[in-house]
Amino acid sequence: MSILDIKMNGQKNKIRKTIGVYAILSLVAIGINFIYGQFGHGVHSAAMTWMFLYPLLGGALFYFLLERLKSGMTRFAPFRFGYNSYNSGIATLTVGSFLKGILEIAGTNSPYLVLFTIIGWLFIAVGVMVFALLSVSRKKNSAPQKEAPDYHSVIE
Amino acid sequence: MIKFFSKPYRWAAIFAVLLIGMFTFVLLDAFVLQKSMVVVASDSETVAQEVSSTPTDPVITENSYADENIQISIETVQKYDSTIYVADIQVSDPAYLKTAFANSTYGRNIKATTSEIAATQNAIFAINGDYYGFRDAGYVVRNGVAYRDTAGDGEALVIDNDGNFSVIEESQVSLASLSSNAWQVLSFGPGLVENGQVVVDSSSEVGQAKESNPRTAIGQISELHYVVIVSDGRTTESAGLSLLQLAQEFQERGCTTAYNLDGGGSSTMVFNGAIVNNPTDGKSAGEREVSDIVYFGY
Repeated sequence: MSILDIKMNGQKNKIRKTIGVYAILSLVAIGINFIYGQFGHGVHSAAMTWMFLYPLLGGALFYFLLERLKSGMTRFAPFRFGYNSYNSGIATLTVGSFLKGILEIAGTNSPYLVLFTIIGWLFIAVGVMVFALLSVSRKKNSAPQKEAPDYHSVIE
Repeated sequence: MIKFFSKPYRWAAIFAVLLIGMFTFVLLDAFVLQKSMVVVASDSETVAQEVSSTPTDPVITENSYADENIQISIETVQKYDSTIYVADIQVSDPAYLKTAFANSTYGRNIKATTSEIAATQNAIFAINGDYYGFRDAGYVVRNGVAYRDTAGDGEALVIDNDGNFSVIEESQVSLASLSSNAWQVLSFGPGLVENGQVVVDSSSEVGQAKESNPRTAIGQISELHYVVIVSDGRTTESAGLSLLQLAQEFQERGCTTAYNLDGGGSSTMVFNGAIVNNPTDGKSAGEREVSDIVYFGY
């Protein structure tokens, strides 16, 4: 039995909840841009204007598709690792975009902004790789998984 | 380890703290943390040309100054729902057109108000400069000394050793090709007037700003004859100027070249130690601290 065979409890509505949270975060990002725009004396930044796309497309849409196409994936323990990594990537890119917007509107820049991009995409790449691995393994192990013990019974 | 991070929200909580830390650090680095790079020892070391250092019997009024080397007159104009301060300046030598850093130090986030820097330099007339210390790119040459050769993505104003203005595209002209004949290079922009023609339109704005704003700009009419315009803005009394309106003001005064400097809350004009305009960032009145000034004096 591999680690991929371990099921996780309490994951039934995880994806739907995640989609909802990302949808709310997209609205928050739009709201922040709007409020910030009120104090920008007409100066706008594309990075801040469009930062809501990270949680909307990279978050809500991505998990919506994941649920539709690979709905059983969340039951496996490594999903948590990929999930954490992917979400961290989206968060890093969103915050980096917000930061870039603040600096652009103020008329300055920072050499550290590129770190947000690199770290963000690195986390996303790791997350996607874990999801892809789970997807492949799930196909291979689809029959034995039905009989596998649940996560808590193995760990505890 | 895996078990630890498998618990809901643990990873999220730790990563959120790290992300907030990074976010805060970048903001502090950009806006607060000072980095001194070069301390300008004394003004005399940077002045390349020998000029008379003591004016004899200057005639000074509330809005004018005249001695044998420097003549300045300031008029206040109401136009475009704005208050505009126009200074007409003539000097006998380009060395009287000077620049100075806050705390006499080149670096990032080293700031002082325009009036404080002007007082330190005994400036007769001063305006805020290009706020070079808020950015990592853009040519910086001051009083004949090159401090930064990293090209920005915009236009720079080159004031050569004869005091003549030209506007260059930094991405197309290296500082090395300029520095031997560059007395001052300021990097903000854009250029407003070139060869007597307005080179901005209603869509040309700083940082995509489409609103009227407080502005500071400098232009040249002829050899050693300059015009400086500062406008109030962001108040009910004075809306501020668009770049097009600003450029038209320079053109109407016969400028062959004019260039936009840092504006908004930075826009300040100081004459004989007093602030001429009404600086504001739109939220509170008063001078904003800046990195540098352009001034006329000894």
